[in-house]
Formats: sequence, structure tokens, C-alpha cells
Amino acid sequence: MTGALAALGPAGAPVVAQVTAIEASLFAFVVLTALFTALARDVLAAVIIFGAYSLGMAALYTFYRAPDVAMTEAAISAGVTTVLLLLTLAKTTRIDHEAAFESVNLPAAGAAGLLFGGLMLTMGDIPAVGSPDAPIWSNPDVTQWYIAETYAETHVENTVMAVLAAFRGFDTFGEAVVVFAAGIAALIVLHREVFA
Amino acid sequence: MSLVDAPLAAGVTLGDFLLVAAAGFAVLAVGMLYRAVVGPTMQDRVLAVNVLGTNTVVILAILGAALDEPTFLDIALVYALLNFLMAIAISKFTVERGGVL
Repeated sequence: MTGALAALGPAGAPVVAQVTAIEASLFAFVVLTALFTALARDVLAAVIIFGAYSLGMAALYTFYRAPDVAMTEAAISAGVTTVLLLLTLAKTTRIDHEAAFESVNLPAAGAAGLLFGGLMLTMGDIPAVGSPDAPIWSNPDVTQWYIAETYAETHVENTVMAVLAAFRGFDTFGEAVVVFAAGIAALIVLHREVFA
Repeated sequence: MSLVDAPLAAGVTLGDFLLVAAAGFAVLAVGMLYRAVVGPTMQDRVLAVNVLGTNTVVILAILGAALDEPTFLDIALVYALLNFLMAIAISKFTVERGGVL
């Protein structure tokens, strides 16, 4: 993590220190908002804090040079999800609660902790950002083939787009099937016959 | 040599200074979270999240200048717009039940 970020500044040490300060506060912010979203007793409060969570998450994505992911996070999570959740709240009822925070269900928290620990164990096997041992660099034949042949094969100018829509077409097709199935399920629940 | 590399003082460039400023704003975000969590009214929370959103836009803009990445400004713009939308949606929801957009 710090290895790749050190390359941002001309001379390593001071820049790494500042960069880590930004990272640390953004991480603290994201973890805190996630925690309070889970614990808030009032649903509307949870929706609002969840909006703050996606703000921090998008800033973090931007910081790691993934502006496309940040844009998606901003549009979907902060914009669409908030409005959808509010619409759902408007159609249902919101109960006023005495306590501000939910009491923690210990078995559920334990299961979530175990899952978290299991996932963290795999972190050691992920290559560092920009590491020459990463699979993407150790298989130059494969990666270079995509860069060289994408346009001839698919006539799509953007390689990332071509991989998503053409080379990984079946995967994307599967996603479209899932979305379509969800739409059908919504129609059945709403007792409607057409998407309109 | 870009403007970001311009020296401000001994060993400190403008880029370093901007990164420190961005870190300061990120620390402030954690403080603003207090009002969003504690409330006590919904208006407090909406206002807190709105301030947090503006803070995020400022962080993104400063990072864009410090790391010399003009594309960060596009994300900052998207965020400014979405932040407004979110505040409107939640405010409208709390005023007239059932109306969101």
C-alpha cells in the first residue's frame, strides 16, 4: 500500500507520512460510519449515516486512483440507494424508538467477526500494489495480448470496456439475467404484468 | 516543474502542504460525524451529512491539486451535485411524509 503511494511524491519519507494521515482518517471515518449505520436504532438515521459512509468510501477510492469506482460509488450509493431507501420508508412506517442504538446481538457479532477474521487471513496472499510478482506482471503474454488484439477482435476502443462486454460477455450476460430475474420477482410481488 | 513542486520553505513543497491540508480536512470529517450520529433531531443529521459532503468535495479538490490529477475535479463535481440531491431528498421526506422526489 505505502509502496505504491510513495511513488506519488518525489522524495519518499515526508510524503508517505502525510499520505498515511489522510488514509488513516478516511479509514477511521469509513469504519465509524459503517458501525453507526449498523447500530442506529432509527432507520432514517441509519439511512443518513449510510450516505456519509459512501461519501468517505468514494473519497478513499479516488485517493487510490480508482476514479471510475468512486464515480459509481457516488452515483449508486449516495444518490440512488439513499432515494430508494427513503422511498421504501415512505411506503412503510417508521417507528419512534426510545434508545438511540440497537443492542448488539452477540452470536451474530461473533459470526461476523469470524468471517472478518477469515477474510483478513487471506490478505497476506494479495500482492502489494505495483509489485512485480503480481499475476498481471508475471503473465505479460496474456496482458499484452489483450492490449494488442482488443481492437482487431472486438472493434471497441477502450480495452477495459472490451474485456467487460466482449471477452467476459458470458459473465455480463449472467449479471443481466440476475437483474431480469429480480425485475420479474418485483412484478410478481407488485401483482403487475408489465414493466411500466 | 509544475506549481505543485514549487518550494514553500526548506524541504516543503506546495504539494506537501496541500496533502497536509487534505489530511486535516479528513480528520475534521470524523468530528463532523459526531453530529450526524448524535443528532438529536433529523435536521441536525441532514445538515451534518451535507457539511460532510461539502468537506468531501474540498478533500477531493485539494487531492486533485496536490497529486496533479485534474480528473479528481470531475468526481468532486459529481459529489457536489449528489450531495445537494441527498439533502433535498431527506429534507423533503422529513417535511412531507411519503414525498421524496
